[in-house]
Amino acid sequence: MKAVELLSLCKDALAAAGEREVEVFARASDRGFARFAGGELGQHMQLVEPQATVRVAHGTRLAEATTNLLTRDALVLAIRDAARRARLVPETEGFPGFAAQDEPTGESPPRFAASTAECTAEERVALLAPVLGSVRDAGLVSAGMLETTRVAQAVATTRGCARAHDATLASFKVWALETPGAGGAAGFGGHVHRDVGALDLAAQTERAIRIAKMSRGATSLDAGSYDVVMEPEAVSELLEWLGVIAFGAPEVEQGTSPVAGRKGEHVTGAAITIHEDPLDASDLGLAAPFDREGVWRRRVTVVERGVAREVVYDRTYAARMNSRSTGSAMQPDFGSSGGVGLTALSLEGGTAASVEELIAGIDRGLYVCRLHYVNGLLEPRRAVMTGLTRDGLFLIEKGKIKRPVGNMRFTDSFLEGLARVDGMTRARTAVPTWWSANGACVVPALRMRAFRFNGKSQDPLR
Amino acid sequence: MKGHSLGNASRDASLDAALAAAVDALRKAPGVRYGEVRFVGDVREQLRVRDGRPEVATTATSRGVAIRVLGTRTWGFACTSDVTERGLISAAMDAVRVARASDAIASRAALFPERDAQVGTYDTDVAVDPFDVPIEQKLAALDAPVRALRTGDKRLHSAEAWMEWTRVHKRLVTTEGTDTRQSFTYGACGMHVFAVNDAGDSQRRSYPTWHGGDGFQAGYERIGALDLMGNVDRVKDEALALLSAPRCPEGARDLVLESSQVGLQVHESCGHPTELDRVMGSEISLAGGSFMQPELLGKLRYGSPLVNLVADATTAGGNGTFGWDDEGVPAGKRPLIEGGLFVDYLSSRETAAALGRESTGTMRADGWNRTPLIRMVNVSLEPGADMTTLEDLVADTKDGVYMATDKSWSIDDLRLDFQFSCEIAWEIKNGRRTRILRDPFYTGITPEFWRSCDAIAGKNEWRLWGITSCGKGDPIQTMHVGHGASPARFRNVTIGNTAGTK
Repeated sequence: MKAVELLSLCKDALAAAGEREVEVFARASDRGFARFAGGELGQHMQLVEPQATVRVAHGTRLAEATTNLLTRDALVLAIRDAARRARLVPETEGFPGFAAQDEPTGESPPRFAASTAECTAEERVALLAPVLGSVRDAGLVSAGMLETTRVAQAVATTRGCARAHDATLASFKVWALETPGAGGAAGFGGHVHRDVGALDLAAQTERAIRIAKMSRGATSLDAGSYDVVMEPEAVSELLEWLGVIAFGAPEVEQGTSPVAGRKGEHVTGAAITIHEDPLDASDLGLAAPFDREGVWRRRVTVVERGVAREVVYDRTYAARMNSRSTGSAMQPDFGSSGGVGLTALSLEGGTAASVEELIAGIDRGLYVCRLHYVNGLLEPRRAVMTGLTRDGLFLIEKGKIKRPVGNMRFTDSFLEGLARVDGMTRARTAVPTWWSANGACVVPALRMRAFRFNGKSQDPLR
Repeated sequence: MKGHSLGNASRDASLDAALAAAVDALRKAPGVRYGEVRFVGDVREQLRVRDGRPEVATTATSRGVAIRVLGTRTWGFACTSDVTERGLISAAMDAVRVARASDAIASRAALFPERDAQVGTYDTDVAVDPFDVPIEQKLAALDAPVRALRTGDKRLHSAEAWMEWTRVHKRLVTTEGTDTRQSFTYGACGMHVFAVNDAGDSQRRSYPTWHGGDGFQAGYERIGALDLMGNVDRVKDEALALLSAPRCPEGARDLVLESSQVGLQVHESCGHPTELDRVMGSEISLAGGSFMQPELLGKLRYGSPLVNLVADATTAGGNGTFGWDDEGVPAGKRPLIEGGLFVDYLSSRETAAALGRESTGTMRADGWNRTPLIRMVNVSLEPGADMTTLEDLVADTKDGVYMATDKSWSIDDLRLDFQFSCEIAWEIKNGRRTRILRDPFYTGITPEFWRSCDAIAGKNEWRLWGITSCGKGDPIQTMHVGHGASPARFRNVTIGNTAGTK
């Protein structure tokens, strides 16, 4: 289904339901998903994910209903169900009504590629054949996935706001592994783009193989503070968590955010500027240009040269906190009602021409390719996070990679760590976030001084 | 059921006909060794009250059919929300086409031993249907504790209470003749408060446990037994006390864990690593592998002789309880760790066959548009043999720490190196709980940790917890899983605090 058809359906349902204050958000995804492991394509799926979420208001009393049936009758039924419950619930302080016809709009960034939208199961298999072959030929075991997704979404309100957007997502992840699931040397490669034809599968596969080969024979290293160079895939894990705990209005209002009550203060180092940048028109941009309320999104600078600036809002939080919505009402799904959040975090890059240049500036430290199972809930006010390295960890000595080491656990404040960043690459990479459709962090590789590892290196083949 | 029509799988003649037609089409499709057609219709209600206002008041309904097909050598999966005969047959042929496409790069045929057909029904035992309880009554039950949590001290900055109900109708028909009808009712309910002082320090305290670990399979009758209001004063007092409490010391201590934290420890360090698909590498693209490899089966001393961990899909009221899994394997109770020894896996028909074993019946999918994966059932630590209580464990500890309620969780990609922080800890000195300690965490290596377990409280303190959203798969799926546990003691565990102070 195309977005304009979805919008038409939303409008028809609004007209047929006859309720005064209604918002309809609808989304239809077609996802081709080829997941391989142990050198075999074990899960190959053709998924459909239709969904419409309606909200009905009676004054400031608000209720929501979601259905997966994208028909006028189903939407009308959902509207009536929400309307019935909206009469029964308490008032939502600050609810300003749904977006109206005069809500500002803008130019849609490029987000659609026909090659991805039309990619077939046979084409995914053909793309993966050389990937599996290359890893096998290297004497390693492959795992990963190739996704080709088409998403249409639309928003319509009884106040005349109407939005429609078509997007595609092509995402590739590949591992080259010493063992299928028992650990040992591992390397990762990944690429995300709206156009499946633009994915560089060969280069990413070669990268995974190269890192896996470099990782063989890893030895142990003691816990302690190490200067680190982090690849974008590692930086993005930490930045995602910072987005979750720091820059949303609910966390600020709740008092748990590290920037709560600190607007205008230095919260990290002067080298750090972070935006929520959903309208990024480059090939790194993936986010939709409007949110589930139909509010056109905008670039929001959350940290500027180390100083806390704005946070993100939906319409209700904005009204309650005397601000304007930033278009940050998250898309609901069947497991979540959405809330306020960030889906396009962007860390400005530096001047380094390469990762090697960053490594050259370290006397003794660690080169971190990826992180695993990061958790940022330890002490949110300080952005203390813990997690482990994964898929490539190397000791740096005198500016060069010396040897592979076993994975290590870190526990440190990411904001305090960012204050110790003294180098970033100019080039940046889009790394998909795992919790939101078409969301990604756009980040450089960076060099951070004295990152705290509290767990010594594991025996890689324990 | 109120609200939208779900298409209850137990009484819908047109759906019956469509499902039968789809299975028939799969039986006739050339090269199809096995096919399963799974209808899922569900409704979910989420309610959350925050600081005196309804933050979430939503219902979601969904229905559709999943088709999974094993072709000559490879699997294919497709799904549809069009539950007509035409829609199902079209999806079935899509699944066949996907399986055939994958065959082009397969180097071997997937193992999938035949099983006898299963026929039957399963229903959650529900005394009070939560979908019959008026929404205003539910919101009032959340609003009262939220208001009470914020009164009496201006540092009680923000409070939330939540309730979530899910009903799932599932019908599985397969080319083997299996035909099962199941109906599940899941609930979750809890509350927490954030205390914030003038310096901006923030502390959270929750009841009955962390948000997401408070699930069960039952009806609204469970809400009264939770007694949110009866726990408000304690929760507030502890949140306020944490603001000025000393940080948990660093070093090695004897550690007593509260029941829900033991449950989470079981989830992360026993449940996930015994999933045989992870062991074989199928979950690398999201979660990683496992240290519990087949060569260790029957040999690995996973824990002390006190440690008995079971996978029990028959525990009454458990989030991981069902009649049959999504491959038509009947629910059962099987040991994973027996007397400390690693003895079995959570497995599927395909993965078990690769080891020459029988499936332990753990394949479940998150809805109609996801493929089944090996998921935990109720993976539980058996209680100690006697009537030992938590207080007995404390009384028997000379120099230790008692930690309660998970705050953060992290474990490596082989499920060995873990670190969990808790909302609260108490120092234990000479058999007595003394002062409260803030920002505590403990860390360890899975088998070393479980081998250090030297006391488990008895069945009088055993409680079945339910996780509502265990994440796995790519694309990610969430699942209801259960964990029973009593408080337990572990010797000489590395503890610390998030600031890294002594």
